[in-house]
Amino acid sequence: MESIKDKVAIVGMGCTKFGENWDLSLNDMVIEAVYEACEDAGISPGDIQAVWFGSYWSGVPAPSQPLATTLKLDYKPVTRLENMCATASDALRQAAYAVASGACDIALAVGAEKLKDSGYSGLPTDELAMGLTSTALNTFRSRMFTAPGHFAMMATSYFNRYGLSPEEGRMMLAKIMVKNHKNGTLSPKAHFRREITVEQVLNAPIIAWPLGLLDCCGVSDGAAAAILVRGELARNFRPDPVYIKALQVAVGPQEGYMNPRHDWTMVKETYRAGAAAYAEAGVKNPREEISMAEVHDCFSITEAVIYEDLQFTRRGGAREEIEAGTFELNGKLPVNMDGGLKCFGHPIGATGLRMVYELYKQIQGKAGPRQVKNPGLGLAHNLGGTPGGATVSVIIVGPK
Amino acid sequence: MNTPEKPVPPVNSWTAPYWEAARKGKLIIQKCRDCQKYIFYPRMSCPFCFSDRIEWVQSSGRGTVYTYTIVRNNAPSAFLADMPYVVAVVRLEEGVQMMTNVVGCAPEEVHCDMPVEVIFEKLTEEITLPKFKPVKK
Ligand SMILES: [Zn+2]
Repeated sequence: MESIKDKVAIVGMGCTKFGENWDLSLNDMVIEAVYEACEDAGISPGDIQAVWFGSYWSGVPAPSQPLATTLKLDYKPVTRLENMCATASDALRQAAYAVASGACDIALAVGAEKLKDSGYSGLPTDELAMGLTSTALNTFRSRMFTAPGHFAMMATSYFNRYGLSPEEGRMMLAKIMVKNHKNGTLSPKAHFRREITVEQVLNAPIIAWPLGLLDCCGVSDGAAAAILVRGELARNFRPDPVYIKALQVAVGPQEGYMNPRHDWTMVKETYRAGAAAYAEAGVKNPREEISMAEVHDCFSITEAVIYEDLQFTRRGGAREEIEAGTFELNGKLPVNMDGGLKCFGHPIGATGLRMVYELYKQIQGKAGPRQVKNPGLGLAHNLGGTPGGATVSVIIVGPK
Repeated sequence: MNTPEKPVPPVNSWTAPYWEAARKGKLIIQKCRDCQKYIFYPRMSCPFCFSDRIEWVQSSGRGTVYTYTIVRNNAPSAFLADMPYVVAVVRLEEGVQMMTNVVGCAPEEVHCDMPVEVIFEKLTEEITLPKFKPVKK
């Protein structure tokens, strides 16, 4: 098996403002993100030879023709794909493989999602749960189970494993959310741009105990896009291309909910995808070699467990690292420099490319007040599904 | 507006004995005659060795809370009237796990590793749900 390392480079990226984009259609957002990416790459949309378009619900069914029409890509290959919360990351992965194979020289990966118009709140309604999130006819697996409920059980289990009182555990989680909101104030494209305090997190209404409202990420609209070319051609486009080092996806067996061997204090899919990505990129010691990460903080506990699953710290080590400020913007290994899902919300089909957009700008030294010093390898992580049944993507990018 | 109703588990040929037992106040689980492992949720064949020599056995009905959450907010549904309520993963003495509710105590009293025992709540004429309550000391 060959590694993708340095075979493909990103030479242009675009990202809309994430938020309640009532005045923008799905295609309006696509145009904004793609035109920014083309301008950044110094190409015109007509130069794009193939498109992989990620959307979870938006435009379904059959959003590829409207997308091709919108971008005036007449008669070119446009593929829409979906892979849960890793949808946009997988669009990047497919486009990268096409470029690496030589099937095309310039490919577009774009992800977009318009959720606010749909009334989607992050909690399944009866119809959504029955139609989309249930495990078909399996009468004994979770049907009406919400994402907050699932991740809350992960938090309860984590606290119990590591001997944290509910107060200690909730305090640990609150500090992660405070960090992300602080970073979000420096992100012009973020949805939520206000600082929050530990007290606000702890006193927010409880959704699924021990997770409160401010332990949960928001729902928003947004789009992001990347222009990919073969690695050896990248410098024809720009002096500072960002190279792909690893593209890994791990899909779990969906057994965790009732499998007594399943450990609720970790997400094995994250561990597996991370380990595979490190191997592909030639990373031996993630804590020392990864200089920043954008991770899937759908809930506060998710980010805490990601630190451990991605081997940024040992099992049970999250709390002491949070106390030490390891993952803060000026810390040893900044995580969610742009504010994460917590501040951008989670337009499902766009999130992965929004994360890569931040890494790309950081690596080029264009992250403004959020700029990480001497950025090297950056990691983007998406977790689709829940503990016990997850689809995880880990992407690593960096300078040559 | 329609009054939302709670979803009712669909019953099929290999789950019917489970629901029939629950209606009679018994918690039964499956056991593989070949590899001797306990199985839950109900299957047509053993998930460990693929044998179809599966029998139903009575569970002790006792177990411990593995993990749980207290639901205090939810999207509109028939469950709103029950809030706050506890959703838990209970590990039975036989070693299998089930997603269930812990009832019969204040939600705040629930904790991981808490000993619990099964009780039954009637949902419809056909369906009775096994739930769990704390074991009295
Ligand atoms: Zn067996």
